[in-house]
Amino acid sequence: MEQKKARFSLSRKLALMVAAIALTLSAVQIFSSYTHYRAEMYEHYEEFAMNIAAVAASQLDPDRIQHYLDTGEKDETYETAYKTLCDIRENGGVMYLYVVKPEIDEVWYVMDTDPSEDAIPLGYHEPYYEGAFAENAERMARGERIEPLVSNEQFGWLMSVYYPMKTSTGAPAGYVGVDIQMDDVMKDLQRFARQMILLMAALTLAVSLILIRITSKTMAEPIKKLSSAADKLVHEQSGEGAETSIFNQLTIRSNDEVGALYESLRQMEHDMNAYIRDLVSVTAEKERIGAELNVATQIQADMLPRIFPAFPERGEFDIYASMIPAKEVGGDFYDFFLIDDDHLGLVMADVSGKGVPAALFMVIAKTLIKNQAQTGEYSPAKVLTKVNEQLCEGNEAELFVTVWLAILEISTGKGMAANAGHEHPTLRRADGKYELVEYRHSPAVATMEGIRFREHEFELHPGDSLFVYTDGVAEATDAKNELYGTERMLAALNEDPDAAPTEVLAAVKRSVDAFVGDAPQFDDITMLCLKYFGPDGAGKESI
Amino acid sequence: MTINQTRDGGKLTVALEGRLDTTTAPQLEGELRTAVDGVTELEFDFTKLEYISSAGLRVLLAAQKVMNKQGGMVIRNANSDLMDIFEVTGFVDILHIE
Repeated sequence: MEQKKARFSLSRKLALMVAAIALTLSAVQIFSSYTHYRAEMYEHYEEFAMNIAAVAASQLDPDRIQHYLDTGEKDETYETAYKTLCDIRENGGVMYLYVVKPEIDEVWYVMDTDPSEDAIPLGYHEPYYEGAFAENAERMARGERIEPLVSNEQFGWLMSVYYPMKTSTGAPAGYVGVDIQMDDVMKDLQRFARQMILLMAALTLAVSLILIRITSKTMAEPIKKLSSAADKLVHEQSGEGAETSIFNQLTIRSNDEVGALYESLRQMEHDMNAYIRDLVSVTAEKERIGAELNVATQIQADMLPRIFPAFPERGEFDIYASMIPAKEVGGDFYDFFLIDDDHLGLVMADVSGKGVPAALFMVIAKTLIKNQAQTGEYSPAKVLTKVNEQLCEGNEAELFVTVWLAILEISTGKGMAANAGHEHPTLRRADGKYELVEYRHSPAVATMEGIRFREHEFELHPGDSLFVYTDGVAEATDAKNELYGTERMLAALNEDPDAAPTEVLAAVKRSVDAFVGDAPQFDDITMLCLKYFGPDGAGKESI
Repeated sequence: MTINQTRDGGKLTVALEGRLDTTTAPQLEGELRTAVDGVTELEFDFTKLEYISSAGLRVLLAAQKVMNKQGGMVIRNANSDLMDIFEVTGFVDILHIE
């Protein structure tokens, strides 16, 4: 269940992304509205404080301010103004209202409406506070208008505005300072910000949740369906390779990429089913052909005389033959038959090429040779000449067959043989060794029309043996591509030259197998061995 | 097996190298089928050919039959192993071997 582990669903990922974007946008929005709101408020309070300062200033005589500072005495005008300013402070919602005369390095106090005992007396002077005041010292000393100062120190949130006054000659006379407490306002502002943040967070959450629902319905769910369907498909197909109908049963209605994906997968499943169907039928066809080829091989093998001893009633000779087919059906064949009571026909042949064409050609060649030989002419050359003519007719495949054909007169041991391009036969005289019998061969049968075949006489004496074979023996090949060759074959034959035909064939086969080793058998291995005992079977006793 | 064709007008020389057997014969057959068009003199050079099987002989026979109609065919430089094969199979009577 590896695919189940720690998998983030698509909709959750999307929702997280949207939430992140929404939060960023909200933060920007909140920050900008916060600063805007604050600026508006500052402006409003500044105007308000400046108005109060201006009214207060109108109660004072700027020309006399320096005089108060110089003398430190309060006259009636001072007291009247002080009272009015106190009223303004109390009724104007102002925290502090005072009159100062800034110099370049110090601030001189002219009037302070603070009703408490902390009120600063006339003529008190002190250096500028650090910070905003000190920075404005030069401007204030010159009597210029300055921006309101906002501070949040020991007195809480304060806005201080300074209204400059001028003497009748235009010289700087001092400032009316008004401090307004902004604690409430700032708290309002902060509450506003908090509420905004909460609202935005809630909205973001809600939007994300809705988004999860929507995307899971339109995207994640269908994709999940497709994903599990694909899993199922893989599972089912690897199981039996049977047709599936998984995507086909799925219903996904969508006009976006998910829908396109679904369509593609459905098409893929359809194509795959068609492919599997094809494969199954092709495989079945192949199996059927294979089975038929097996039957063909069987039929071919069945055509060869395979019952031994072949002539139990004949004491004059013993015969044994075998064909060991290669994997692919081939064209080797042997044959032996009595033409009449005193004549034995022997055939060893090999059709060029392999497969069904060679097998069919072999069937025709074998039948024609036997039929022709049984007409009683006792001439292998004439038999092959006739067969050649018949085989050349319409031999479009241009196959040919190498044939060794012998007709033996059993009573005398004399015979005639023709070799149409076949391997050299081997002969073993009684008490001797097997040797190749080499002579000039005729061309293979069915190579050309009108070929004349040579034949020659031979004579077997009691105790003599004949061994014939196809190139499957002589040209058996080992893993190093080396040929078995006739020398090794003769050596195998001569290991026990007196052996009965059955053993002779077995010995050669063992020798070939040992030589070839693990290399595959390319060609049919076909062998025939005849032992001649003489008309009265005398040779038989000698063994 | 490698097949080397040299065309000189109506004369085609085909040099074979390696083994001409069941597995390689179809290759030669395929090449010859198109190559012999318009050839009046077909020459096989077997200097480097090591072995020829009955499937290979079949291809040579087919080529000989075609060339009988449109000119001539000759096999040169066959080594003694190949000559044995040609003699055993009786192809010396059918093919023009020099």
